[in-house]
Amino acid sequence: MVSPLHILAVGLGAAFFLGLLNHGARVLAYVVTVVALLAMTAIGGQWLWAFVVAGAAPVTIMTAGAPPPFAINLRMGLPEAVLVEIVTLVGLLSAVYMREALMRLGHRAMAVFLVVVMALSGLILTRDVFNLFVFFELIAIATGGLVLLSDDPRALGAGFKYLVVSQVVSMLMLIGIVFVYHASGSLNLDDMTGTPVAAAGGAAALAFFLLFVALVIELKPFPANGWALDVYQAAHPGFSAIFSAGSSTAALWALDKVIGIGGTPWLPIAAAVGLVTFVGSNLVALSQTDDRRLLGYSSVAQIGLVLTVIGLRDLLGDRYLMIGGGILIAHAVAKAGLFWISGLVASRELSAWAALRRDPFMIFAFATFVAMLAGLPPFPGFYAKWELVHALVADGRHAVVAAILVGALLEAGYLFRWFGRALKAPLPDETVQPPVGAVAVVALTALGGWAVAYGWGEASRYGNLLTVVPLMFALAFLVLEWLPAWIKNTVAILGLVAGFVVAYPHFDPMQMIFGAIILLGGAVIFIASYTFAHGRRVGFYPSAMLMYAGLAMLIVAKDTFSFFAAWEVLTVGSYFLILRGKESEPHALSYIVFSLGGAFAILAGFALAAQTTATFPVEGLKQVAATHAPWVFLLLAAGFMTKTAALGVHIWLPGAHAEAETDVSPMVSGVLLKAGLFGLFVLVMHLGRQSLFGVDLTHAMLWIGAGSALIGNLMAAFQEDAKRLLAYSSIGQMGYAVFGIALMNNLGWLMAMMFVINHYIYKSSLFLSVGGVAKRTGTREMYRMGGLITLMPLSFVAVLVSIIAMSGVPPLSGFGGRWIFYNAIMDSDARLPMAVIFLSGPIAFLYLFRLIHTIFLGQLKDEHRRVKEAPIWLIIPQMMYVAFLIGFAIFPGLALRRVDDFIGRFMPEHGLNWTGQTITSAYGYWNPVAIMIIVAVIFVVLFLWLVFLNHRAQMVKQFNIVFAAERPYRPETTHFAWNFFAPYKRAVGFLAEPWFERFWQAQMDTLHGTARFARRFYTGNGQVYAVQVIAFVVVVYLAALGGRP
Amino acid sequence: MITVALVTGFALVLAGLYGALTNRNILRMIVSFTVADAGVNLVLVAVGAMPGRTAPILDAAVPVGDAARRIIDPLPQALVLTAIVIGLGVTALMLAYAYRLHATRGSLDISKFTELKW
Repeated sequence: MVSPLHILAVGLGAAFFLGLLNHGARVLAYVVTVVALLAMTAIGGQWLWAFVVAGAAPVTIMTAGAPPPFAINLRMGLPEAVLVEIVTLVGLLSAVYMREALMRLGHRAMAVFLVVVMALSGLILTRDVFNLFVFFELIAIATGGLVLLSDDPRALGAGFKYLVVSQVVSMLMLIGIVFVYHASGSLNLDDMTGTPVAAAGGAAALAFFLLFVALVIELKPFPANGWALDVYQAAHPGFSAIFSAGSSTAALWALDKVIGIGGTPWLPIAAAVGLVTFVGSNLVALSQTDDRRLLGYSSVAQIGLVLTVIGLRDLLGDRYLMIGGGILIAHAVAKAGLFWISGLVASRELSAWAALRRDPFMIFAFATFVAMLAGLPPFPGFYAKWELVHALVADGRHAVVAAILVGALLEAGYLFRWFGRALKAPLPDETVQPPVGAVAVVALTALGGWAVAYGWGEASRYGNLLTVVPLMFALAFLVLEWLPAWIKNTVAILGLVAGFVVAYPHFDPMQMIFGAIILLGGAVIFIASYTFAHGRRVGFYPSAMLMYAGLAMLIVAKDTFSFFAAWEVLTVGSYFLILRGKESEPHALSYIVFSLGGAFAILAGFALAAQTTATFPVEGLKQVAATHAPWVFLLLAAGFMTKTAALGVHIWLPGAHAEAETDVSPMVSGVLLKAGLFGLFVLVMHLGRQSLFGVDLTHAMLWIGAGSALIGNLMAAFQEDAKRLLAYSSIGQMGYAVFGIALMNNLGWLMAMMFVINHYIYKSSLFLSVGGVAKRTGTREMYRMGGLITLMPLSFVAVLVSIIAMSGVPPLSGFGGRWIFYNAIMDSDARLPMAVIFLSGPIAFLYLFRLIHTIFLGQLKDEHRRVKEAPIWLIIPQMMYVAFLIGFAIFPGLALRRVDDFIGRFMPEHGLNWTGQTITSAYGYWNPVAIMIIVAVIFVVLFLWLVFLNHRAQMVKQFNIVFAAERPYRPETTHFAWNFFAPYKRAVGFLAEPWFERFWQAQMDTLHGTARFARRFYTGNGQVYAVQVIAFVVVVYLAALGGRP
Repeated sequence: MITVALVTGFALVLAGLYGALTNRNILRMIVSFTVADAGVNLVLVAVGAMPGRTAPILDAAVPVGDAARRIIDPLPQALVLTAIVIGLGVTALMLAYAYRLHATRGSLDISKFTELKW
């Protein structure tokens, strides 16, 4: 084993050697630099290997042949090895990345570069407090030098501001160190830890405070961090990567070492400063438009989060390193990667990242880094988030959890907004031909991120998410991206079907219903995707399969951890899927923000239910203590209902579903919405009824369901855009299902299950039909269509059958749903919400009628005379749905009977009686076959009568219906099918006003306004920054010591 | 004596900081920082001072056996030396910045370099 001392020796020796070189020997100098960094990385890597694989014990390395405190000693343990490896690797990759800049500036710049990497490693390794100071100063000087590597002329000012603040910090640190030495008689950290300085009180505490606060300022705490943000923004991105990933990492470890001296009284202060930094920086980042400054704010915020974790280390116990390390490593990899990418983008506004679209791998890298920062599975931050929230909730620190989750949501918001903009903004004209080395560095970092995810999964006690079969299958599509789309489509279909075949023997009846819809139903929708399977269709299959993988993992999840992981996987997969639509950027953002907000509620709910255990079987929700149970119910229900787009949190749905691609709409509507219903089923089955402050929460759910049904249907009736109509209709339909679940009786659940099946079929079918029509006519606005019945007869049949099924009239399956529903209502005593839901029934007829009337009946538009039937691949799944709707109408027992038995285990009373072809409830009976026959007879008779009458009909020519004195500024206003339900709108339109949109918009405006106001604090003046630092010291002093010396 | 040195040292630190934060001219700021640095070094020396003891040189005059009682602690002085060296480095770098700022921007007024903000 090579001593870690050689990391420092190699760095320093090579730097001195570079100083001796001739100015012309640039290539030699660069080779020496890279070789030295390679050697440093290799030594660090060798120790990392020894600790991780061989399980070596930590070692202490003496210097100058004397033990501490007479000489400086170093320590190398697992954390040190990990951190040194981060620092040296980032240094090495940055040196490769910055080859041009380094070659231009010559050997002296390279020497400084080596010194900074060496000093960062030293900061991590040393156990001597004065040595810490020396390394900090080396880093400050080297940083001051390296900022000048930038092409940006503003870097000069930024570097000087940085030095001004460093001067102030170094004074604090030096005075602190000498007094700490005076009080403890040693400079060795381990000796000092033995005799806690702070415990002595008085002057010693003040001395420690100075040292402590200097280290905290090194971490760029909000708001005393303007100096660092300027450096992030102006420095060469290669150096900013080191500054973000390396400097902060090393400084955090330094603080971790020193805080032990002061003892526990200092921990809450660190936690508070960290928390303020995390939330504050993420808030201000909302209004950033410069990519590097945005990354600066995000870096500062992440470091704040780790600082919080350091402050909580007593509480976290042996999980401390896993949590802090998970966040820190995810931050280091992602932030370095993002800074490196920013160097490949020509200009600094966020939309300029659209240039990355020229290379799909760069988009993959960008997505990887964003997911790492947002703490999504399978990256280390996800495991850390889970552990941290559980530990905090178990200790009753709910406010801290809330603050962390709010900060994390803000961060996810601006990161995904940025990602969406990069995918959707127009391609910039400027192009930079990035150096091959730089691209390779980014690619390696992205792959490294996945490697870290794998390693972290192996080390975690929950099992490795990356080895879960559905997720592996989905990720395999990333590797298959080079294949033609039709092959990938076939593989996807086969995979889903095979997944069902393998899994179904282990399903219980409820899982069976959901599993069939997700896997088989998903496969049917993929048939439609053959329509779009031209070329490679890059990005579609990994996203779609990620969503299906998450859904498949969700329904078989045994414990809360895998449940939550599956939830996040399906959320992020569907986000990428929705984002593919042409105009879907704002809607996809709204979707992901609401979904992550909902996911955080679920996380908090699970944590509250778990208390001291980290994860527990989902059935364990039954045993939640009565004091927590209502809150668990509230949090989980809020999370799941965000996914079902319940009233209040529904505003993401219409845009997300309507703007999605033709085959994506049925995926995210027909399939994805069921995840929320599945969650609600799990919730009510295990937790049952809960009351909070005297309110029965299931009763509140009834009201929300009824409200969603009413408002969703009403909004659907007032739409002009056919896909938006279908989207709003989903809100209404999900409202019915939520209502059914909340009825808390046997039939209510059965009816909700019926809605699960029915809604999948008719909504998928309708989205495909309408999508086909929109594809052929080039518009989604219904009044622009008309008379398509003869040109698109199969689409017409599919729409007709679907709306009959949806409207709940006999003979199709919707009637069965209604019948069960009415029986369920009889069992319940919730009269008032029942009235609301009855009222919303007829409204559904209004919008369903428009689909037939305005699209297929009436006069054909001139421009549509040559329109053809929808593509065959769109028609095939629709015909399958038609056949299934009719079949399910005749034999509902095939699916429902077993579910009824299953529900009977939870709700023994008032089940249905399935004998022969008749289904009997306490209130009556339903014979599907008889109904089918009766309706068929009536239909045939009427149809023949109409055919007989048809010869009397006259053909009508088109004519202009504008009245003489009208001036149609907007031509559509004169169309009879535009604003079709205007009278109803006048009557009840106030209900359909976008109240909730306005509410959420006001929240967003407030946040952005606050961010814009708060960032004025960063005036850009170096002296102001220094004064802010001093003010920060005073505030922390008053908070920490309360003014006592 | 120690008290005088300590008070003087802190006074210099405060005076230097005051100067660095109130003078807009970068050169004046740098000079102020060197004053403050000198104050810090004085504080370090004062903290390490042990009246009545001798230099930490082990020779005939100070046998090894009594060294611990008779010599002063050499460490703070080593720290001061290191701090002086580092201070020199930082001052030199700041002066280099001042030179470059003046050469490229034609000004030494810190309040002019606020193009990076918010």
